Amino acid sequence: MPSIDDVVDSPDELDDETAQELYENADRTQDMMGEVCPYPQVEAQKGLQKLESDELLVQETDHVPCTENVPKAVGDDAEATVWRSGDGVYRIYLRKN
Amino acid sequence: MVSQLLIAAVVGLGIGACLQKGRFCFVNAFRDLFAYKDTRVTKGVIAAVLVTMVFWGTAYQFGYFQGFWTPGWGLTGLVGGFVFGVGMTYAGACASGTLYRAGEGYVQYWLTLLFMGVGYVAFVIAFPSLQSTYFASLTFGEGVSLFEISPVPAGLLAIAVAVVATLAYATVLGRQHAGGSERATAAEARPATIVGTPVVGLQRLAAGTRAYAAGLRDAWADPVAASKRPWDPRTAALGISVFALIWFTSVSIVGVTGPEARWSGYLLSLAGVDAGSFAYWGSVLFRGAGVGVTVDMVMIAFLILGSALAAYWSGDFSLRMPRKRRLPNAVLGGFAMGAGSRLAPGCNIGNIYSGLAELSVHSFIATVGIIAGVYVMTHWIYREVGCAI
Repeated sequence: MPSIDDVVDSPDELDDETAQELYENADRTQDMMGEVCPYPQVEAQKGLQKLESDELLVQETDHVPCTENVPKAVGDDAEATVWRSGDGVYRIYLRKN
Repeated sequence: MVSQLLIAAVVGLGIGACLQKGRFCFVNAFRDLFAYKDTRVTKGVIAAVLVTMVFWGTAYQFGYFQGFWTPGWGLTGLVGGFVFGVGMTYAGACASGTLYRAGEGYVQYWLTLLFMGVGYVAFVIAFPSLQSTYFASLTFGEGVSLFEISPVPAGLLAIAVAVVATLAYATVLGRQHAGGSERATAAEARPATIVGTPVVGLQRLAAGTRAYAAGLRDAWADPVAASKRPWDPRTAALGISVFALIWFTSVSIVGVTGPEARWSGYLLSLAGVDAGSFAYWGSVLFRGAGVGVTVDMVMIAFLILGSALAAYWSGDFSLRMPRKRRLPNAVLGGFAMGAGSRLAPGCNIGNIYSGLAELSVHSFIATVGIIAGVYVMTHWIYREVGCAI
C-alpha cells in the first residue's frame, strides 16, 4: 500500500531533538535565511563538493519550496532529511553519499 | 454585483490556498526540469492546463461562459514572453508565485510586486509609441481561440487535445524509462518504439496515477493532518481547475498581471494621478469604463489572503526579511516581469495556464517565449554547476 510519502515525494522529517543534535554536529552549515530559489539549490551543490563522503551539510532557510527542491537538486549526491520548526524556519540535512 | 464579489472572494481564496499548499510555481516547474530533470511541479502544471481545458471546453460548448481572452497573435508573444520568462526566473517566482508568497509573508515578493508595478507604469507611459512601432509591426493577425473556430464541438476538441497531450507525455516517459542504451539504437528501432514507447509510458502513467489516488485515500483518513502537510502539485492543480471553472462560467478566464496592471492605475489614481488619461489604462485595461476597482482586481487580492490563511494554517507563515544581495532579483526581475507581461501580453497564468486551456493562438506563441526565457536564464544562473537539459 503506497503511503502519502510516495505521492508527495518529500524527504523524511526529523524530530526536534534529533534535528538540534545533528545541527550542532554538522560539518558545514549554510545560512539561507532570506534567500529565494534557486540559490539555495546551487549553494547546496557547491557545498557538497567541498565535503567528504558521510559528512553532513545543513542549510537553515525560511524558504518553503527549498525543503523539497534542494533534496531534489542534490539527487544521489546526498541523503536528505528535513526539519520544520512550525513557524516558517526549516533545516535541510544533507549527508553526502 | 454583490454575487460577483462573492464569487471573486471564493475563487481568490480557493486558488490562493491551492497555490500555497501545492507550492505551485511555474518557475520551479520549468527551471528544475531544465536544471535537474525534476518533473514534480511540471506534472502539476500540465495536469492543471489539461483539466482546465476540458472543463472550459465543455462549459463553452454548453454556453456556460462569459468570454475568452484572445489578443492578436504575432511575434509580440515571443518577445514579451521571453522578457517575462527571464524576469520570473531571476526573481525566483512567476506572477502567481509572487502573489502566493506575498501572502506567506515574504517582503522579497512584496518588493517584486512593487517593481512589477514600476514595469507596468513604464509600459503605460511608452504605450503610445509602442503601439505604432512594436505592436503594429509584430502583430500579424486577430486573436482567436480554437474553441471558437473548430468545427468539432469544443468539449470533444478539448478531450482530443488532452488525449494527444497525454500520449505525447507517455512517449517521453516511456523513452526515459528505456534509458540511454536504447537511445543509441533509436534510429533502427523506430518501428518498434513508435508503438512500444507510449505503451510503456502509459503503463508508468497509470501506475503513477494509482499511487497518487492511493495517497489521496490515505490522506482522507486524517484530513486535518493532511491539510497541514504540503500537497502534491497535482492535488493543487485539481483544486485550481475547479475554482477556475467557477470563474470561467461567471466572470472570465483567470489572469494575474492584467488585474495587477489595473491595480497600478487605480492606486496611482488614488494618489492624484489622472490614470484614465493614459491610453493603456483608460481605453485598454479599463475599456473606457473609468478607473476603479474591477471584480478581477478583487479576486487577486483575495488570492493573497487565501495564501496567507493556508500558510498560517500550515505553519508556513512568517514575516521574512530579504537579503540585501537578493534585492536586484526583486527590482530587475520584477521590472522585467511587469514590462514583459504587457509586451506579450500576458503572464504565465494568462498564457501558459488560461491561454493554453482556452486554446488561444497567441498563447501558444507566448508560452514558447516564456519557456525560452526560463531556459536561457536557468543556464545563466546555473553556469557554475551546470544544467541537466
